[in-house]
Amino acid sequence: MATRLDSAPRGDLLRVVAVDGDDAISDRLATCGLWAGVELECLARAPFGGPMLFRIHGYRLALRRSEAARVVVQSQSDSGADPGANA
Amino acid sequence: MSEKSEAGFANTANTISSSKAGSSSKAGSSGNVGGSRRVTLFGRANSGKTSLLMHLTGSLQRPVNFPGTSVESVESSCSYEGCQLQVVDLPGVASLTPQSRDEQVAIDSVRDAATKPDLLCFVLDAGKLAVELRLLQELRGLGLPIVVAVTKVDVAESEGFPIDAEQLQRALGLPLVVVDGARGKGIDELRAQLALVSLQPAWLQKPSAANAGTAAESAPRKRAFSRSFTDKLDGWLLNPVFGPIFLTVVVLVMFQLVFTVAEPFMGWIEAGQGWLSGGIEAITNEGALRSFLVDGVVNGVGSSLIFVPQIALLIAFVTCVEATGYMARAVFLLDRLLRRFGLSGRSFIPLASSFACAIPGIAATRILGDERDRLATIAVAPLMSCSARLPVYVVLLAAFFPAYQAGLMLFALYAIGIVTAILVSLILRRTVLKGGHSMLAMELPVYQRPRLLLIGRHTWFSVKSFLVTAGTVIFAATIIVWVLAYFPRSAEIGATFDRERTAVEQSAPADQDDQIAAIDAREAAAYLEQSYLASIGHAVQPVFEPAGFDWRLTVGVLAAFPARELVIPTLGTLYSLGDVEASADNPDPRLKDALRNAKGPDGKPTMNGLIALAVMVFFALCSQCAATLAAIRRETHSWRWPIFVFGYMTLLAWLAAVAIYQIGTLLGFGT
Repeated sequence: MATRLDSAPRGDLLRVVAVDGDDAISDRLATCGLWAGVELECLARAPFGGPMLFRIHGYRLALRRSEAARVVVQSQSDSGADPGANA
Repeated sequence: MSEKSEAGFANTANTISSSKAGSSSKAGSSGNVGGSRRVTLFGRANSGKTSLLMHLTGSLQRPVNFPGTSVESVESSCSYEGCQLQVVDLPGVASLTPQSRDEQVAIDSVRDAATKPDLLCFVLDAGKLAVELRLLQELRGLGLPIVVAVTKVDVAESEGFPIDAEQLQRALGLPLVVVDGARGKGIDELRAQLALVSLQPAWLQKPSAANAGTAAESAPRKRAFSRSFTDKLDGWLLNPVFGPIFLTVVVLVMFQLVFTVAEPFMGWIEAGQGWLSGGIEAITNEGALRSFLVDGVVNGVGSSLIFVPQIALLIAFVTCVEATGYMARAVFLLDRLLRRFGLSGRSFIPLASSFACAIPGIAATRILGDERDRLATIAVAPLMSCSARLPVYVVLLAAFFPAYQAGLMLFALYAIGIVTAILVSLILRRTVLKGGHSMLAMELPVYQRPRLLLIGRHTWFSVKSFLVTAGTVIFAATIIVWVLAYFPRSAEIGATFDRERTAVEQSAPADQDDQIAAIDAREAAAYLEQSYLASIGHAVQPVFEPAGFDWRLTVGVLAAFPARELVIPTLGTLYSLGDVEASADNPDPRLKDALRNAKGPDGKPTMNGLIALAVMVFFALCSQCAATLAAIRRETHSWRWPIFVFGYMTLLAWLAAVAIYQIGTLLGFGT
């Protein structure tokens, strides 16, 4: 089921489906490594609707919720595959 | 090669054998040895470029600005087997489509035919390989030879994404060296590669698409399921409850450093200043020269030097917190709050620095990517009550308010600055600074131990830059105020007080020295009362009349416009006290009493609690620092912003002072 990254629960493994928009913000998101097919995980949420922290490509990226809302993601956890198999 | 062949740092690398160096390269042919090469270090912010430069060239270089900009680059040199390497460290770049002014300048410098280097050294942070490969792919389009330096391999390993350097090199088809920024491992090999690699490499002709595919494949797809040290620490420091508490503690420690730990050092500078003045007084005669040297030169140098301990401690602390990786967490936690005020989480560092001094604060706004965020931050940073305001607050609070009120009032004065900053920022963001692509999208680095050498270097260059900007402006301002306060000299006044002194000396009373000192002080006051500064003060007085200021306060306020710390010595002279110390912890009790007991021509006191409050709020809000305005000019490349900041702050300060005095008088507090 596709959702937006800003509603990602902590600890879930997600896969990017698409990044909305064609402007400076979406360019910047691509620069940070957000492109279709990439796996990421929500690590933390700042209090009071503040930014969210993700692990992506092995590093930690902080995004505002408005930035995260541009990213369409699919949950990997319920796809059946065991993500730990190759770890 | 167009090279301003500067005799560089002759490095020990000369002794490294080339067989060892060329091991992982298919280049490294002969014929390239000798001559000189310009190498640009290219990579993202925090990829480890600066420490790489330090290890490469073995020297601590001073950052210089790109012509016509405030964007800094560091240039240094080393040599390898007779080949001079001129190495430039650019600001961090995340993509060849620039997203900030710093990135624009960095990208232009490698694209421009005039400034283009001979060779790029791409600094690849192994911790985020996939994103780095994307940037490297873009970079290959420039057609410059590239040597890849892989940093932070240990970080990638501990985070569960180990790197296979050999496989990566095969996939990329570029010379590649693994380096360790902390210990300097692999540096000799990198130096050799940079000196020996062919400048017309065969791989430039290769189709890059094929390379890209293999490169992406070499990116590890493994994922760590064990939490790393950083994950565990983040669990605490980004915790919704504990995180903000810890951040508050960090900020309190910072203030403690700036205001308490710096104190003894500031005391030494004051003592040195006193000693120097004493020395000059001993070898010069009474007159213009002595006054110029003591009140102008020594005082001018001293009033900028006095801030050095605070600024050095503040910058060292901020750099240290940044080096641990915590500063990015502070930005993360504060972004939402500052966003509401029209700023960005990244505004936190410049604004916090501004409580010590707005000048390093304004320089720190360079980290803000969005120009509007940056301008809004610059415009409100001078409203943070800097350490130069503190002596004014302390003297007036001690004179007019009981101790139990003073602490609360002091807090309120800091709060007034912060609240005003919020309002101004909100207004700016809804008018002249509307819109913009403000983004956070920021990496939170892994936690690491800060390296003292880099912190020391950064602190040293920042203090030097402060002394150059603030030192010259404050010094010049002090000299101007001295000239206005010293001239014209009336012979009549000198003669009158000489007679008094002679009379005292002849009668030789027990307290002769005290009496002479009192006469000297009154003489100084008499001179000042008919100086150009006082004439200006009397002329401007009607402006400050509605705020309840008498002419002496007006003169003090005017003298403080170039540098606000000048108000204390000026008031000291005006109230016939001789030299008054502007120390924060120990307000001169004589100035306190003089302010309290001063009476106007009508016999009524000229100062009271209400007027003191008006003066303090005026100082809290007013832009009385020429050096800050110079820093804003430098950072914004226009006079518009310094003029705007000066205008709005001075107007607000005046309005607030008048409102306090008028409303307070109506309510009956003015007696």
